[in-house]
Amino acid sequence: MNKTIHPIEPEELMAYLDGELTSDRASATAAHLGKCAECQGLATELRSVSQGLKAWKVEPLEPAIPPAIVAALADDRPAGGNIPPAPRRGWREVLGQHWPTLEWVGTAAAIFVVVVGIVRLIGSGANNVYSTVPAQMLDSGSDRDRLAARSSPAPMSAAKEAVTLIAPDKQQPAAGHDLVANGPMIIRTAQLSLITKEFDKARANLEAILKRHRGYVGELKANDTTGSGRTLTATLRVPADQLDATLTEVKALGRVESESQSGQDVTSQYVDLQARLANARNTEQRLTDLLRNRTGKLSDVLQVEQELDRVRGEIEQMEAERKTMANQVSYATLNATISEDYKARLQVVPPSTATRLSNAAVEGYRSMVDGVVSLALFLLADGPRLLLWGAILFMPARLVWKKVRRSFAA
Amino acid sequence: MAADLAEIRTISDEALMLEFQGGSRPAFEELYGRYRGPLYGFFRRRLNGDQRAEDLTQETFLAVIRAANRYTPSALVRTYLYGIAMNVLAAERRKIAKDSPPGKESPEPATQEAPNSVLWIRQALEKLGDSEREILMLREYEQLSYAEIADLMDLPINTVRSRLFRARMALKEFLEPAERTSETAATSESRQEAGLPHAEGEAI
Repeated sequence: MNKTIHPIEPEELMAYLDGELTSDRASATAAHLGKCAECQGLATELRSVSQGLKAWKVEPLEPAIPPAIVAALADDRPAGGNIPPAPRRGWREVLGQHWPTLEWVGTAAAIFVVVVGIVRLIGSGANNVYSTVPAQMLDSGSDRDRLAARSSPAPMSAAKEAVTLIAPDKQQPAAGHDLVANGPMIIRTAQLSLITKEFDKARANLEAILKRHRGYVGELKANDTTGSGRTLTATLRVPADQLDATLTEVKALGRVESESQSGQDVTSQYVDLQARLANARNTEQRLTDLLRNRTGKLSDVLQVEQELDRVRGEIEQMEAERKTMANQVSYATLNATISEDYKARLQVVPPSTATRLSNAAVEGYRSMVDGVVSLALFLLADGPRLLLWGAILFMPARLVWKKVRRSFAA
Repeated sequence: MAADLAEIRTISDEALMLEFQGGSRPAFEELYGRYRGPLYGFFRRRLNGDQRAEDLTQETFLAVIRAANRYTPSALVRTYLYGIAMNVLAAERRKIAKDSPPGKESPEPATQEAPNSVLWIRQALEKLGDSEREILMLREYEQLSYAEIADLMDLPINTVRSRLFRARMALKEFLEPAERTSETAATSESRQEAGLPHAEGEAI
């Protein structure tokens, strides 16, 4: 084994086979091992030594606890009262110790969550699981609320989580099936451009309409540039079944300049996504079982763990995709632009003489300072160079000058 | 109760030990179940006689019961148990050395019924230095990590690694001649049957 040829030490190779290398070194070693016959030979030798040693087996021991230990347990078993409290207690042993109490508390909590969930679902009056929540978002059109609407992934996720708590494994696919069972899944998008003379009123009315239809503001921008009317650009999310009613009401806020609607059928994509998600979950379960009942080499276990990581990543990605899609279907998007009917106004107040004088004085002072600074900068930057050239050219120039003068004199 | 038992099966050694400190007998029984076999194997491979190994396993657990309060969760239970086992083993070895007259090794009763391969392993292990043998055995039979071995033997982890490597390389040398002898014998026999000259068989 020559160090100059092999990037890994023989001891490192052994540590790799024992699963004792850090992951970066392990991957480097695995890569080298894949292509180096000499190291493969050493690995085979090391494995065969371990394998050879495994031949020494020991006969199993009687499973019963010997009487001496039973007696010692009865005599010396540490009594709970005499033991100082353990410095660190894992959740498992705390769980183990208080299991009966926890069972009762857990059951009560589960019943409470189920009851609350059912009441909320009934209270919403719709089969839409999100419908109870967004109302909180609409209370005002203040900037703070709009910021919240923009920065948080919408309160729906909270509602979803609340529902998920009831039955984490069953709720999500069930919601998906409901969505599909209710007919084709269509992402609806509408665009509306309005011109209004009463801009402030229109804006207030828009918020009221949203509140009525249990929608929320996805994004809102207001512009007030001089020389043109004010504009409001908003991305509104309303429950899909409320889109038509909302559109009618919003159109009444002013004169419609343009309007468009589109619908994208994502039923097949959604069903496909769900199938892939179910497959990935099955794979995850199988890998987890494999890890739990592991009997193989450490390198195999590592490989299974890597695969498990990858599958989990995929599941998370698909789950996020599914949620986004379900959200897009449940809530239609309305891009509304409301512009003010602009009336140009004369600027009635000309600037006063005092203001103009003081502005002129400030300007004069500023230009003077600028001039001085520019001169100083020029001298500092170019002065030395000019001096140097002057010194070099002075004598020849003088000679030329003298000759010229002499020739003139002659 | 069934739920208790099912729960206890999934609890870590360390949590079980703390449970036992708190007075839980099922926790001790679970620990006993988990380590009875490995500890018996530990003594069985290092001493002669199965009865003695059984006694020492029992002694180790008795020491655990007596010293349960001294366990702190900063150490792994596995390391803690093997630490006690090593102390018990050292005491036993001192006793054997005192009892038996010097220069006279006790005979090997377990080897008579042991298969040849085990005999070779034992002989090859005997040829290693004490520290190297112990490290190798802790790794191969007790399946301890380098860090755990370093902790138990009070050695730097790099020393453990290099000694383990040396031990494995030496063992390869010790085991190979035995394998080669048996292979050569088998090959020469088959060659003789096939009518080939003996010298070629040896040259392989």
